[in-house]
Amino acid sequence: MAHISIKNLSVEFKVYGSNARSLKKQLLSHATGGRIASNADDSITVKALDDISLEICHGERIGLTGHNGSGKTTLLRTLAGIYKPTGGSIEIEGTIGALLDPASGMDPEATGIENIYLRGYVLGMSKKEIDTKIGGIAEFTELGKFLELPVKTYSAGMYSRLGFAISTAIRPDILLIDEGIGAGDAGFREKVVQRTQEFVSSAQIAVFASHDHAFLQDMGAQFLAFEHGKIANNNTA
Amino acid sequence: MRRELWWVFAAHDIKQRFRRSTLGPLWLTLTMGIMVGALGFVFSQLFKQDLTEFLPYLAVGIIFWGLLTSVINEGCTAFVAGEGYIQNVPMPISVHYYRVFARNIIIWAHNMVIYFLVILVFTPKFSLFTILILPGFLVFLLNLAWMGLVAGILSTRFRDIPQVITNLLQVVFFVTPIFWSAKVLPDRTAFIELNIFYHLLELVRSPLLGSAPPPLSWIVGCTMAIVGIPFSIWLYRRAYARIPYWV
Repeated sequence: MAHISIKNLSVEFKVYGSNARSLKKQLLSHATGGRIASNADDSITVKALDDISLEICHGERIGLTGHNGSGKTTLLRTLAGIYKPTGGSIEIEGTIGALLDPASGMDPEATGIENIYLRGYVLGMSKKEIDTKIGGIAEFTELGKFLELPVKTYSAGMYSRLGFAISTAIRPDILLIDEGIGAGDAGFREKVVQRTQEFVSSAQIAVFASHDHAFLQDMGAQFLAFEHGKIANNNTA
Repeated sequence: MRRELWWVFAAHDIKQRFRRSTLGPLWLTLTMGIMVGALGFVFSQLFKQDLTEFLPYLAVGIIFWGLLTSVINEGCTAFVAGEGYIQNVPMPISVHYYRVFARNIIIWAHNMVIYFLVILVFTPKFSLFTILILPGFLVFLLNLAWMGLVAGILSTRFRDIPQVITNLLQVVFFVTPIFWSAKVLPDRTAFIELNIFYHLLELVRSPLLGSAPPPLSWIVGCTMAIVGIPFSIWLYRRAYARIPYWV
């Protein structure tokens, strides 16, 4: 049974200006004592998540909404284990699949087939797993012989079709999705909607971050609005 | 699974570099061959050294020096270059360093072809001491591993470090006996005896040329590994949670 338990989670990070990263400034600040030190470390601390508590149980679909910079993506990254909490705790039961950047792992110079493997590895699949799934992925893209060509020769639509097909081939317990997933032209939409439904319903828990309320409603997600790193309101769509 | 990942990345890097090139990764070997050939010809004349002695010496020196500098220099940018992954893909951050390390081992293996060619042409000088390449190379690699990792962590936090390191290594290249022999200096000067890079090189160069590395080189190499490895692990443990924020 997948489960996510978040208690008083805070994430804050320092955003360094070019100054604080320079060794010279760092050394100078030690050499000259307090006066310059306050200038030299011109970092700004951003409190991206502020005292979040949340329980997500088996079967739940959560849609994080809110303005840019309200903390949606930071929460997903923290759930994925990329950012370590600076306060509070997260306990997670179940395997995690994170679709945070639809293109990470993909290489325009490599062929479609090579990209299926590269993106597949990045998504956490093993070679064996990709071997068994590659037939289905290739068939879904309808790219046929194009899969033998470098991806940079693809149109934008073909490229996103390929990315979509690979990304939706994983089967984790917990899905973390940043911005919607989708691809391709009108004729392709039906297939995409069907595959997305299948994909999301195979996961025990799904957490989306999106501005697209219609998409979240289609996925049957509970809305959770974020504002300045806090949960603003909590109502079911 | 994660081991698969860094190996796949490293192999992909090499493949990518030579995509659409007819000779492919053979260019690595060829480039090293041309470099060793040209330097060997010039410096053997300059220092009035016997080419049959000098060329194997030079080949081993350049090949291993190349491995050393590229692991440290590319180690500096390992995490910064992996930013896209570090921010978006849940995987251990060390993958990005292993990738750099593995990529340079692949390149080194291609370069070693030149060593074997040179040694075949100019009378092989194998002896019982050649077997010492195994522990020698191990100590060499262990030291490389921690130096590259430390360089990578510090460079991610302080963006001046890569420039500092590149320049340091450039200077070290000239003061270390690589394209000139330590024998040409009658008194062993301090910058050879105290040069840690000289000792690291001796651990691999001497066995490959059929002699035993000096005892001092073993002491220096092993001490550095014993101190450096725990230090780099300590630094990595301290830094790894913050690297995603630094990149």
